[in-house]
Amino acid sequence: MNFNQMDSTGAAAVTGPLAKPLLELNAVTKQFGGLKAVEDVNFTVYPGQIVSIIGPNGAGKTTVFNLITGLYRPTSGAIRLAGQSLIGLSPDKVVLRGLARTFQNIRLFNNMTVLENVLVGLHTQLKAGIIGSLFRPPAVVREEANARKRAIELLSFFGTALLERQEEYVMNLSYADRRRIEIARALAANPRLLLLDEPTAGMNEAETLEAVKYIRRLRDELKLTILLIEHKLAVTMGMSDHIVVLDHGRKIAEGLPEQVRHNPEVIAAYLGKPTNVRRGIAD
Amino acid sequence: MLNVPESIDSGLLAPNRQIRVLLIKWVIALLIPVAVFTFGWSGEAIENNVLLGIFSPNSSIFSDVPSIVQGGIFCAVFYASVIALVGYLVAADDGRRGRYGIIELWADMIAYTVIPILLISWTNDLLIGLALAVVIIAIYLFLRRAVRNILHYSPPSPLTGIQVIDEEQRTFLISKARIGSFWFATIFAIISLITDIIFFVLGSLPTALLIWAAVRTLILPIVGYFLGWLGGIVAVRQTIREGANGTTKNGTSLSKRVSKRQQLEGLSTARAREEARNLVPNDQPLQSRGAWYFCMVLIAAFVLFYPVLDPVFFAFGTNGRLVGYDDLGYYVILALGLNIVVGFAGLLDLGYVAFFVLGTYTWALVGSDQFTVITGIVTNPQIWPWFFWPMLIIGAVIAALWGVLLGAPTLRLRGDYLAIVTLGFGEIIPLFFQNLDKYTKGTNGVSGIYHPVTPCASWFPCIDWSSYNPVPYYYLILALIVLCIFANLRLRDSRLGRAWIAIREDEIAASSSGINLVKTKLFAFAAGAFFAGIAGAYHAAKLGTVASSDFNSTDSFVYLAMVVIGGLGSIPGVILGAIIVYSLNELILAQLDSIATNPSSFLYGFKQLFPAFNFTDIRNLLFGLLLIIIMIFRPEGLIPSARRQRELHQNIEETAEVGSLDPPPGTSGFEKEIHVQ
Repeated sequence: MNFNQMDSTGAAAVTGPLAKPLLELNAVTKQFGGLKAVEDVNFTVYPGQIVSIIGPNGAGKTTVFNLITGLYRPTSGAIRLAGQSLIGLSPDKVVLRGLARTFQNIRLFNNMTVLENVLVGLHTQLKAGIIGSLFRPPAVVREEANARKRAIELLSFFGTALLERQEEYVMNLSYADRRRIEIARALAANPRLLLLDEPTAGMNEAETLEAVKYIRRLRDELKLTILLIEHKLAVTMGMSDHIVVLDHGRKIAEGLPEQVRHNPEVIAAYLGKPTNVRRGIAD
Repeated sequence: MLNVPESIDSGLLAPNRQIRVLLIKWVIALLIPVAVFTFGWSGEAIENNVLLGIFSPNSSIFSDVPSIVQGGIFCAVFYASVIALVGYLVAADDGRRGRYGIIELWADMIAYTVIPILLISWTNDLLIGLALAVVIIAIYLFLRRAVRNILHYSPPSPLTGIQVIDEEQRTFLISKARIGSFWFATIFAIISLITDIIFFVLGSLPTALLIWAAVRTLILPIVGYFLGWLGGIVAVRQTIREGANGTTKNGTSLSKRVSKRQQLEGLSTARAREEARNLVPNDQPLQSRGAWYFCMVLIAAFVLFYPVLDPVFFAFGTNGRLVGYDDLGYYVILALGLNIVVGFAGLLDLGYVAFFVLGTYTWALVGSDQFTVITGIVTNPQIWPWFFWPMLIIGAVIAALWGVLLGAPTLRLRGDYLAIVTLGFGEIIPLFFQNLDKYTKGTNGVSGIYHPVTPCASWFPCIDWSSYNPVPYYYLILALIVLCIFANLRLRDSRLGRAWIAIREDEIAASSSGINLVKTKLFAFAAGAFFAGIAGAYHAAKLGTVASSDFNSTDSFVYLAMVVIGGLGSIPGVILGAIIVYSLNELILAQLDSIATNPSSFLYGFKQLFPAFNFTDIRNLLFGLLLIIIMIFRPEGLIPSARRQRELHQNIEETAEVGSLDPPPGTSGFEKEIHVQ
């Protein structure tokens, strides 16, 4: 399978460093006790880009996500979204700033239906409070009806498969479907920047191909900026505009896929030995 | 497929074979409980009482004038809905369960209806009878499963019975329902007539009623025919219709119905089975939504007219029992309130009694002479009781504010820590009011708390709200319970309710979806406290005296037991849980000693063998054992919510590769690092 061949059209939309940065990480460090999980990481995401964070297991990729989304507070450094600092904001406040995420090990609400999961994602877009919920004035009824419409619209982004199963409890769905629902839930918050944590983990080849397609569509059709963590190098290389490589909590390289691919440090981090480079990446 | 006989009209008196089987099945299934209720217990007594009141009010047998109207309405509603229910069931049954199904149904009907009725009339107490019946039904369900296993009987899947019903078949369904109701009504009328004649010969039936019995025998079949039409309409409403374009007026709803069928085909079996159960025709119509409508009418009629029916059921001691039910009422409200906190939002609150105490003392201190002691304002005893009505809400709001006040610093804690802190509140608040004895008179208690008042007018009778008259409080608490159920439902199905369930499911995902954890949890805490405040104000006004010794921090555990035993997050479950736990704990276990002194009770012999034995000593032991047994056999609660049931019957462990430096989600390292403002 070669994802590189599909790359010919997508990369055209790259907005270069001339635009204003959407997300900036500046010397971000996170220390757990004596262990530096993330050390002095800098990188920038520009609007309209698909940026990937790669690195071997334990490189601190998910920690970076948790730092950005407010689940962790950095020990030092600055994180800015469109120029405004995200440091010290709780996860729900970060969502309000226009940043939504998915999780590596899918965190859906298993005992809620597909539609309900997306409706929870719409939480920030709705206004009904405790009084409104009790008395259900016309405004709340309308809002709720619109929310359902919107949720169905979001599910239809992934075709009709999820629409037919909207009343199903998510725990009964396939792994790939659950990944899609998690993205739909994240989209519901109406984000500017979407953080995807290993969006193809646990998928077979066909599902991975499909995932790559819709991630591109997220950027092209919904005009989203995407930051993702990816394990499958071939996938990353194929669709990213920019790649950040972490190892042992530090950024060891960054740049265009081509540049990163031939960076000796990256090769060393992944494989330990420089001799097996070509075979390793072609996998 | 549903076979439509060639001539439907001729089927009324001589139904074809297929319908005859269904007819026998359902007529007998419902005749058993109805006959037991009518002739074995009190149904006929209520009816005769009403009729005597109308036809010969001077008769020596007849006593209670004001109950004619209510009793009459009850009789009419009760028998009408049963007759219509038969029609619905005959129409809705697809007959797929066959012979086993018929036997099983009759056994079910005996277990679910005859046993409770017999137990209630034997123990001469509604709640004790019901509580014992639930225990027996649990054993029955266990045995049923065992018998099924022995016979290798597995019920057919409801999914295979799904079919689209066209216009002709719908007409057929309605005529089936008519046949069912007609025959049921006719047979019941004949049985009643025979019984009445026997009673007349024995001399215990006045002549005036015999005329009525004759008239009734003629009227019932006609009424049955029309009620069958009602049952048929309900059945038809639950069918899947053909979605052909423009075949009927309501095009949009029809296409929706067909997509519903497609949906069912796409659903997983477990979920689809839940859905298919409500469709007509199906193999177990008694458990479908249509039958549930009729049962709700029956239950509502029973609960609404209960104070009138009680003297007929149990002859004497009505007031004592009603006082008990008034107490049960506030337990139900407390369980509903705690259900929001524990069932919906998943916050373990072990100090819920604190909010009940707050509500109680709010009205106790405002609605009594203590108000003058505290504020120095002299109150007018003619006007002051009126403030009960606003204080019912204000007291609840105060309790809710305390909920926020206590919750704000503590709801940042998770799980076990929150439980410990709330446990502390449960200890502190009752003690606080006890030691505030300058105002609350401590353990001696505040007495002379005003009862509520209602307006009197020529068209509106004056209501006696004194403690000796429990009937107004019965209706007050009934209205409050209805309001609480309404609020519970509305909150559950709202943006807030979704957020609560999301938090219960996964705090991190909820927070990353933009839900403010602290605020949402505070709302749950406040809503729960609000209900407890209402229950408290009601309790103070009803009792008239409040002492700090009435409250025990361990009460919180009883409330929690109600919610868990009933079924976390399930509104009907929680109500049943409150009834069962209250009956077991307060009516049965607390009174074992006095029951044992009664020579007719089964414990009498035990007491004779061990005269020194005191049941009070082992009361808590027995209560604890009961809780353990229920939790072992039904961990999801008596009537579990759909979500909860699913949760307990799955054991999937998600495995995911997680970077060695990132603490895996779910471990203490990960949770600890989560920053929530």
